Amino acid sequence: MNDNPPSDIEFCNVVKRYGEVSAVNGLNFAVRRGSFHSFLGGSGCGKTTTLRMIAGFEQPSSGEVLLAGKNVAGVPAFERPVNMVFQHYALFPHLTVAQNIAYGLRYRNPRPDKKTQLRMADEALEMVRLSGFGQRKPSELSGGQQQRVALARALVNKPTVLLLDEPLAALDRKLRKEMQSELLRLQREVGITFVLVTHDQEEALSMSDSISVMHNGSIIQTATPEQLYEAPASRYVADFIGESNLFNGTVRQLQGNSVVLRTEQGLELESPLTPTGKTLSADAPGCIAVRPELISIAGANADMLREVKLPGRVEDRIYLGNCTEYRVRTQAFGVICVRVPRQQDHPANAFEHGAAVSVGWDHANGLAMAL
Amino acid sequence: MNAAAHPQSVQPGTALSVGARQRRSLGRRMTLLMLLPSTLWFLLLLLMPLLIILVYSFGERSAVGGYAAGFTLDNYLNLGSRAAAFSNTLILAPLGTLVCLVAAYPLAYFLALKVSKNRSLLLTLVIVPFWTSFLIRTYAWIFLLSGKGIPALLASFGLEDVRLINTPWAVLIGIVYGYLPLMVFPIYVSLEKLDKRLLEASADLGASAFESFRRITLPLSAPGVITGVMLVFILLMGEFLIPAILGGGKVFFLGNALVDLFLQSRNWPFGSALAMTLVAMMLVIIGVYLKLVARYGGRPVDSGV
Amino acid sequence: MDQKTFIKNLRSWQNGSISRRDFLGRTGLGVAAAVVASNMPGLLMSSAQAGEQKLSSDRLALATWPNYHSQENLDDFGKTSGARVSMSVFGSNEEMLAKLQAGGSGWDVLVPTNYTISTYVGLGLIEPLDLARLPNFDASAFQQKFMAQGTVDGKVYAVPKNWGTTGMLYDSEKLKDGPASWKAFWAAAQGPASGRTMVHDYQLTAIGNALKSFGYSFNSLDPKELADAEKLLIEVKPHLFAINSDIQPSMRSGDAWLAMSWTGDASQLHRDLPQMQYELGKEGGELWSDFFAIPKSSEHKDAAYAFINYLLDPQHNKLEVLSHGYPSGDKRVDALLPVALLEDPIMYPAAEALSPLEFGAAATLTSPARAELMARFKSA
Repeated sequence: MNDNPPSDIEFCNVVKRYGEVSAVNGLNFAVRRGSFHSFLGGSGCGKTTTLRMIAGFEQPSSGEVLLAGKNVAGVPAFERPVNMVFQHYALFPHLTVAQNIAYGLRYRNPRPDKKTQLRMADEALEMVRLSGFGQRKPSELSGGQQQRVALARALVNKPTVLLLDEPLAALDRKLRKEMQSELLRLQREVGITFVLVTHDQEEALSMSDSISVMHNGSIIQTATPEQLYEAPASRYVADFIGESNLFNGTVRQLQGNSVVLRTEQGLELESPLTPTGKTLSADAPGCIAVRPELISIAGANADMLREVKLPGRVEDRIYLGNCTEYRVRTQAFGVICVRVPRQQDHPANAFEHGAAVSVGWDHANGLAMAL
Repeated sequence: MNAAAHPQSVQPGTALSVGARQRRSLGRRMTLLMLLPSTLWFLLLLLMPLLIILVYSFGERSAVGGYAAGFTLDNYLNLGSRAAAFSNTLILAPLGTLVCLVAAYPLAYFLALKVSKNRSLLLTLVIVPFWTSFLIRTYAWIFLLSGKGIPALLASFGLEDVRLINTPWAVLIGIVYGYLPLMVFPIYVSLEKLDKRLLEASADLGASAFESFRRITLPLSAPGVITGVMLVFILLMGEFLIPAILGGGKVFFLGNALVDLFLQSRNWPFGSALAMTLVAMMLVIIGVYLKLVARYGGRPVDSGV
Repeated sequence: MDQKTFIKNLRSWQNGSISRRDFLGRTGLGVAAAVVASNMPGLLMSSAQAGEQKLSSDRLALATWPNYHSQENLDDFGKTSGARVSMSVFGSNEEMLAKLQAGGSGWDVLVPTNYTISTYVGLGLIEPLDLARLPNFDASAFQQKFMAQGTVDGKVYAVPKNWGTTGMLYDSEKLKDGPASWKAFWAAAQGPASGRTMVHDYQLTAIGNALKSFGYSFNSLDPKELADAEKLLIEVKPHLFAINSDIQPSMRSGDAWLAMSWTGDASQLHRDLPQMQYELGKEGGELWSDFFAIPKSSEHKDAAYAFINYLLDPQHNKLEVLSHGYPSGDKRVDALLPVALLEDPIMYPAAEALSPLEFGAAATLTSPARAELMARFKSA
């Protein structure tokens, strides 16, 4: 037996099929003990199926699921050391808040007595800052309060892993922000592994220690939020996480870490290879991604000391508050997206619709990656 | 905290214009007007007959049968002569309700939670018997329960000389057969409404399937169970067709006593007294039942999702 | 009950009937049907199309018993007279009386049993018949004892329709020594036929035949004699298979071996199952006769007379007898029937078997003592 299992959750070649359709194709990943891990992807990407296989609501068609180092094949949901916070909370409407929270306690081994159960429920309520709400019915609480009860109900059982299935999706933006920091606080306090499923990249980026980006039943990349944003492994991730200007083409030249790509438009672009992705070979298809905030914009006649420089015309100007986004049509690459942070020397209305501008970036601002 | 979440709903209608107020009182009048037919219906067709029966119950039987005016308590004092009908009804109506419940719950559970493909077909099958007359169907049970029916089948398995027809068992079987759909549907509806994620949540929290059923499914289907039990029980208290046909005149319900009193011996006053007693008994039983439900079963009305 | 019987019974139930004085009485459906039929003629019965108009009335409402008429005759009458017949079927005389008493029945012809006629007359519900309007009626063709039942104070209020007896029917394969007296009937019910005996759900015959086993009058109202009868009935009750006038299904299925039976049930059962034997009580029992009468309230008297006259035509009446199997009591009709039928001891019992039988008495119909006794017996 392994004395020091590095991971609370481990998936080995896990496949889940529903009849002909496969929901999940050969998943391999591990979640470090005590970390906050997210599965991020659009609807139908397989993230919820993955979570349900951890919880035990679904059994994998093939492959192994390990919880705390133990294979849990055939272990039913009610015997697994994990607890879930459901998307719509799934609070028991006929029970009081305290009864909801104490629900799972009687199935613990050893079983705490009634008084201990009540005390634990009270403590859990305090932890989610709902002291005094124990005797209410869930229907008498607001959405955010119900969310906290659901959290308390799961955490009171001290699970090895807490699973969160889009827990904040039903809340309004401000409340969501609040609950995000609440979740982070709780995770630090209790120190157990949190696994979050979400389609909201902002939520995943801001909360997670690590993120698995899923697409079509596969994990595209697992990395820290910084790595995902700054060094996406593939075109899909670069496109999905944040905004990117993507230039497709064929690799012309490989020199150490530097890639020269001949784009579809017939121009050559140069940039370093992404550190997380597959290496590229000559004549293979590839792409170069440039984040809009790394691109400069200046008047058509202004001097610009960037390695790539393109003339264009402002097609759209979108005010985003903390920055202004320009959509500039260039001869060479079509529309290029540029974001300029709000600064005193750059007024939001610097360039009008239709204004002639030039945009530019340095080779080092781009990242070359496989498609 | 709750109110603060909906600040826009705090002061509704404080600034109603005069026109709006007029519209509102007109609306109220319209509501009353539209309630009028059902109010009349209720008064004429529900309360009036009850009142007439009440008056009759203190009268006397006329020489050739029927009702003759008078004031006597004899009819009520004579209720003891129908003791067997009272005890048959008071045993078989609750028992029949209970057996219906026990038989209907698994069926409703199966239909609501386990079937996904042909659910509407199966539901239709539950109602299909209603397409023919209840009388005909109950008569078919004479065949099934008579010597050449189920007892013959049992005999072929070595269980000789089982007598079913014209016994309380036959009546019970007829009751369960006849009233099963009335029990199945309310329970089915409440189970169908049940949020399946609650069962996952329960399993997730460590409850076995049985525990989840006991602590989640059963309490949340209570409204359906209560409705079904009331529906079946009330109808069974007045039942006369099934005991008349499957009881062979040997299993006598209050309903049969009533039919005999009104149509055979034509003792309307005594029949009225019996009917009033039946109504009073049902009110008491249902009142106690609802009290018990409220005390031990929580507040079923609130538990809708 | 085998499949064929079941289908046959099903058919007759669908026609709103099983056998005379049957479950319609217990279910109250008879009254409901009567109300509907009298207010909406043609809804319950599909009547013959109106042909050439011969009567001033175009409809006729008939209150009768189930399975008691030839459909052929009804159709033909409708065609030739132009009056459509709408029929209300009843379960008991008690019910029929209750309905007519309540008023607004709308009936033009009713078919009361002998013992009820004096009550109808006493309550002024029926009127003397104008025999001149019934040319097919011949009083001399009927036995005096039947005629007398329809005559009150020398006036003919009703003319005979059919007659019959109430005896005991047993399955001779199951019950070796069938009873031939009511004393033996009740003894068998508690002995070899325990759990296999059926008693009518009908005060007149159930109580009457219990009285007979003590040698009392079938119609006794004597409290002491009724008390004896009640004691016997209550004693026998746990041994009974059923208290039910619908004896055919259970006798056919073999569930019941012994039953009180009317002529028609007996002849039908015996025809299908020869081991079914019919006996009249040695001590006596019931002889009954049904009649045609016209309610005072009838609004279509010409049609009523035409209808009765039509059915009294021996040729038409022969069709009636062949269809329902009850004797008509009319010599002219008997002359037209096949000899085999006339020699059937069930339909036409020997004179010595008939002689101790009694007609039901009017007083039993309204007697609260008998009604209450019956009720106590049933709810015991």
